[in-house]
Amino acid sequence: MSREKKFSDEFLNAFVDDQLETEEKGRAYLEIGQDEELNRRVCELRKLRELVRLSYENPPLPENGLSETVTTTRRVRFNIAAGLTLILGVMLGWLLHSSSGFYTDALAPPSQETGVSQAAPDTITVKASKTPARRPAETKLATAAPLSKPAVAPTGEQMKVLFHVSRSGKVYLKDALDEIEELLKFYNATGQRARVEVVINSDGLELVRADTSAFSKRILQLQEKYNNLTFAACRNTIDRLKRERGITAKLLPGVVVIDSGMAQIMRRQHQGWAYIEV
Amino acid sequence: MRKFVSLSLMVPVALLALTMGGCATQDGKGYGKQKVVYHINYDNPKKLKGAMRNIQNHINAVGKENLDLRVVTHGKGVTLLKIANTDPNMQQKIISLKEQGIKFNVCANTLRGKKINYKNDLHDVSEKDIVPSGVAEIAHLQAKGYSYVKP
Repeated sequence: MSREKKFSDEFLNAFVDDQLETEEKGRAYLEIGQDEELNRRVCELRKLRELVRLSYENPPLPENGLSETVTTTRRVRFNIAAGLTLILGVMLGWLLHSSSGFYTDALAPPSQETGVSQAAPDTITVKASKTPARRPAETKLATAAPLSKPAVAPTGEQMKVLFHVSRSGKVYLKDALDEIEELLKFYNATGQRARVEVVINSDGLELVRADTSAFSKRILQLQEKYNNLTFAACRNTIDRLKRERGITAKLLPGVVVIDSGMAQIMRRQHQGWAYIEV
Repeated sequence: MRKFVSLSLMVPVALLALTMGGCATQDGKGYGKQKVVYHINYDNPKKLKGAMRNIQNHINAVGKENLDLRVVTHGKGVTLLKIANTDPNMQQKIISLKEQGIKFNVCANTLRGKKINYKNDLHDVSEKDIVPSGVAEIAHLQAKGYSYVKP
């Protein structure tokens, strides 16, 4: 009932466009990951969004996340997107008929979490596009996105790797980021399709708290560089921090919040992800 | 008729019990075959020693003929084989584990990054033991059905 309202097309559009508050986004991220139908919708929206963006040479710069403008921007963008969707829908339909290769590439992966993977990292690219320095990232995405080059989907199965970060300390966290980056680099270099999720709980939360992280810059850079990387922080840990120490954790941009780190680890392993404890 | 029913039930049950008993005696331990990857990325000698002990206990519990166990070392974890190069105690442990079929892999990225000459600096490492990326290897092995253990 409320779910229907929560996950209207407009809401999902906002999710894909990274216009949701962190909390909302985290919840959506989680639910979409578990619902195949939602997953598929997000996946399609994202494809459309890519098409829309590709059709612009210079996308208009969105406002910088002021909450009162968000709803109007969202609405306006939704209207524009709706118009373009209509046109693109016709084109897409035509394309789908004429090229079966495209079809399989665009819609083949409604397997559990593909949609999320693509939706969540994508939010990061949108963020990147708010800064003037976004050009390289965007061009990179444009060429890397399966949509722009459907024929050259990298071969092999998609690797799905979860890193678990649960301790604090500069040395440990630096090692963790090094390991994560090393792996992303490796997959990039070998043309291996991959998704990497960093699940953060317990003392590890230090890594993604805006007020405590010694690596905020690096995390932002990593997110900009790798659109297949997601940082996910544990809601239980955040709540505990508030309850026991009265601290309201403010997270770095792009970090999603999940209900429970441990539950997420179980879920992911169940879904076939590899688990690596840093 | 009733006799027949109970008999027809008993036969498969007995068969099942027999085959299960057969399995149990076959591997002697009851765990069946296992594929496991051990992840080592730390250099604390005490922890490393503990890890080697874990592996030996794992072999004892499952049986070496049932165990496909890989130790993937990377980052600071490569220190394990550095220690084994100089410390006879650790060396003996690793030789013994290798004799029982345990394989030790080393990350190429680490060798490059830390400028380690695997022929001189590490205990008994050859080309075939080196994997391009330790972390990617661990992920790959898990995708192939290996269980992950971080001792």
